[in-house]
Amino acid sequence: MALEDYQRDMEMCCRCSICKFIPMERIEGVQYANVCPSIARYKFHAYSGGGRMGFGTALLEKRLEYTDTLLEVVYNCQMCGGCDISCKYAMEMEVLEPINEVRIRCVEESHTLPALDRVINTLRKQGTMIPGAKAKRGEWAEGLDVRDFTKQKTEIIYHAGCRTCYDEDMWKVARATVNLLQKGGVTIGIGGGHESCCGSRAYQMGYKEDFLRQAKQTIDLFKKSGAEILVTGCSDCYYAFKVLYDKFGLKGDLEVLHTTEYLDRLIKEGKLKPNKKISAKVTYHDPCHLGRLGEPYLHWQGKEVPGHIRLFEPPKEFRRGTYGIYEPPRDVLKSIPGLKLVEMDRIREYAWCCGAGGGVKETNPEFAQWTAKERIEEAKSTGAEAIVTSCPGCEQNLSDAMKGNGNSLKVYDVVELLERAL
Amino acid sequence: MALKRDIYRALEDVVGPENISEDPVILDSYAWRSCIIAGPQKFVQQFEAVTLPKDTEEVQAIVKLCNRYKIQFKAGSTHWGIYNDPGEPGVVKLDLRRMNHILEINEKNMYAVVEPYVIGAQLQAEVMKRGMICNITGAGSNCSALPLAAHQGIGHMSQSLSYGERNQLALEWVTPDGEIVRLGSLGSVGEWFCGDGPGPSLRGIIRGNTTPLGGLGVYTKAAVKIYHWPGPPTFSIKGVSPHYKPSQIPPGFMFRYISFPSLEKLTEAVYKIGKNEIAFELMGFNAAMMASNIATSNEEDRKIYKQFSELVQGPGTVIIIAGNSPRDFEYKMRVLEIILDETDGKSLEPVEDPKVNGGALWRCIRITASIRETCRATGVFGGEVGGTDVYSLMRDYIALSAPLKADLIRKGLILDDGTNPFTQSIEHGHCGHAETLTRYFAQNAESAKAGGELYMEVNKLAIKNHFGVPAHVWSDAIHDMYGPHANNYTKWLRKIKKTFDPNATSDSTHHISVKK
Repeated sequence: MALEDYQRDMEMCCRCSICKFIPMERIEGVQYANVCPSIARYKFHAYSGGGRMGFGTALLEKRLEYTDTLLEVVYNCQMCGGCDISCKYAMEMEVLEPINEVRIRCVEESHTLPALDRVINTLRKQGTMIPGAKAKRGEWAEGLDVRDFTKQKTEIIYHAGCRTCYDEDMWKVARATVNLLQKGGVTIGIGGGHESCCGSRAYQMGYKEDFLRQAKQTIDLFKKSGAEILVTGCSDCYYAFKVLYDKFGLKGDLEVLHTTEYLDRLIKEGKLKPNKKISAKVTYHDPCHLGRLGEPYLHWQGKEVPGHIRLFEPPKEFRRGTYGIYEPPRDVLKSIPGLKLVEMDRIREYAWCCGAGGGVKETNPEFAQWTAKERIEEAKSTGAEAIVTSCPGCEQNLSDAMKGNGNSLKVYDVVELLERAL
Repeated sequence: MALKRDIYRALEDVVGPENISEDPVILDSYAWRSCIIAGPQKFVQQFEAVTLPKDTEEVQAIVKLCNRYKIQFKAGSTHWGIYNDPGEPGVVKLDLRRMNHILEINEKNMYAVVEPYVIGAQLQAEVMKRGMICNITGAGSNCSALPLAAHQGIGHMSQSLSYGERNQLALEWVTPDGEIVRLGSLGSVGEWFCGDGPGPSLRGIIRGNTTPLGGLGVYTKAAVKIYHWPGPPTFSIKGVSPHYKPSQIPPGFMFRYISFPSLEKLTEAVYKIGKNEIAFELMGFNAAMMASNIATSNEEDRKIYKQFSELVQGPGTVIIIAGNSPRDFEYKMRVLEIILDETDGKSLEPVEDPKVNGGALWRCIRITASIRETCRATGVFGGEVGGTDVYSLMRDYIALSAPLKADLIRKGLILDDGTNPFTQSIEHGHCGHAETLTRYFAQNAESAKAGGELYMEVNKLAIKNHFGVPAHVWSDAIHDMYGPHANNYTKWLRKIKKTFDPNATSDSTHHISVKK
């Protein structure tokens, strides 16, 4: 699909501004009604989902040049999909897809930002978007009794992801995951130094070809292993393997599960029994790529039926965030004795983004932090002692935003708390 | 035509460099067409610059600069309707999205004071927590809660919660020449409780038949009347978008879609329901609009509409009963039963289905399905919005326009959407309102042209048959059509415009201009 293929979608925009807010039925007051960090921070209509439909059309009509402002607007968006979900409560049009296609068009026509080019160069050279030696990728697993799936047969692959592998602070999450899965009787394999980037963020930044190269390389490695299940604790990776790889016909029969899904399964099967009390009040932050964007990709091939009303042959089902992964992480938390889960105002399909996605952390860290601080304030308003999430990107960005602000709020991965409860 | 540098810098000095732009990328996004009576032209006239004032003082400073430099301005909040657009080059936009505060909720005196970018959903949620509720414009809870910002302001709940014109209390207004005027009680005792006094009352001037639609300065704050709410602070909603529904319908609430064998029977029932003041909401949806409210896709919409069409007797209405006590609820239900017996009203059974009923109730209180009901089908809509007059008169007006719409449907120029008739009673039958909705594929120039022609024909119909001045009067041309048939009100409107806008800086494209 190209930007041109979304022309009719973009032209469906009725300028109602619903894309700027959480679904109207979920608004419970004047605070926390925004869903889009971009329009909330930068105010001009161009920064909203609707505004982006307008300049997507303008690009197709060659009304606009690729200017610094255009790129500034294009890349000051976390690609969180909040606009897409709010719009599709009522409308039948793609929103996030054309936003992504605008980025792809920018890259195809060599209009990119230096910060993004730098991370893509790192990806091309080292197989990760985070600067670091490939050989060190598997260091997090040192001392663990875990198979190397590139050499040993395994049914389940655990993919740690770049953010975990190259950030020592995040190793504890990966190690805890391995421990928990093993306690649940699961034999897993990891890629260690052979693991490479899933390509998800490259795609979200518009570098489609780089994504496809990474994707093919990664899926080949998985397929060679003969494993049937892939488990990852990174929401970006989860989105790549489950949704993007499927979109581009690469996923095959591989079952993709987020760590929280698998652990929830083990708890419900009685293979893991959290029995140590953790007396704490926590709130859960839904990662965009696990939540609203984590629902399966829907393959549809057909055409729009000519006429006034927008109908499709065969009927087209739009991805509306309805089937995202919302309950498994919550169910894991609820299984921990003593732990009290309190909800923020914006949750599940209308959760506020942590701020790190879409290349924003790389191009505009101030905006990434601003967005995270909004989330932290929302979390604090619940009276929770900690934000719990299930994505290293969210955990890192929220933790960074806490620093130096005298916040007593803690940030955890679901896995960390579960490990303590066993 | 870019703004001269000294003008741009002067505006920049007011709002700061972050809050002004003349970049084509920013301007083009504001130039994307509105869905209302849209045609193949995808982009409308661009503004020269967009400003983001944060308060009344900044609005005033911008307006004064526009007067000093003889340039036009237009303010807007959520930016939906076409009246947010400039009519010609040289207009500066005031995007009021930074003015997004609820300034006061006065439970005792039953009003709330809002800035323009507070949307209906936000104000409603806040006042519901306090046992109150506000009217929301039928355009949806995504629109401004300011009683003057959102066109006519008639909404689904206007049966018991009235509409913009009447709900507007005291007001702060930056006049077209940059004066700050505080109307009603605000102008004398500094309080918001009344629009007409003690203090200066210019309510007719600043509002008129509809509102000046951006053509008479900027309304920066207003008090809106709020009403008693017999329900809980919120409904407990379960489900994931787009399948939201209350976990249970609170006691004392009932939602039904009632159809009648004829328009006459519907009218009889509407008057009886109004006379007995039993309905919290009485929204004269047709089966098609009820289907659109429920359906989550066009495909589903068509299926539900087909089903409903086979089940309804004829025209219908949504009714919500909200009891203040169990006895009150029981009384209202019994009265409704008697009225339906007398008027042969019949409840549409699929809407009573618990799987459907709660969601429809919640959507029709929170006014969250307006986009489903209008824009989802084709992305655009048009038609005629009747005024606020005697219910039966408005009903007849729209009924008489139906054959014109049917003719276009026969020619394949617009969608056969089944949305006629659409009528509603206001203030328990004190007055009424009706609309002819048209939807079509906007890129088809013939359809857009036909939609425009239908609009003009329906206006002629209103004049010929004395149906009064409707709400969609938004240009010199349309005002001049009606003026001679309505006491030459246009002469007065132009005098008002000239008096308050001596430099013609407040873009009059969708209001009225002072003719030379």
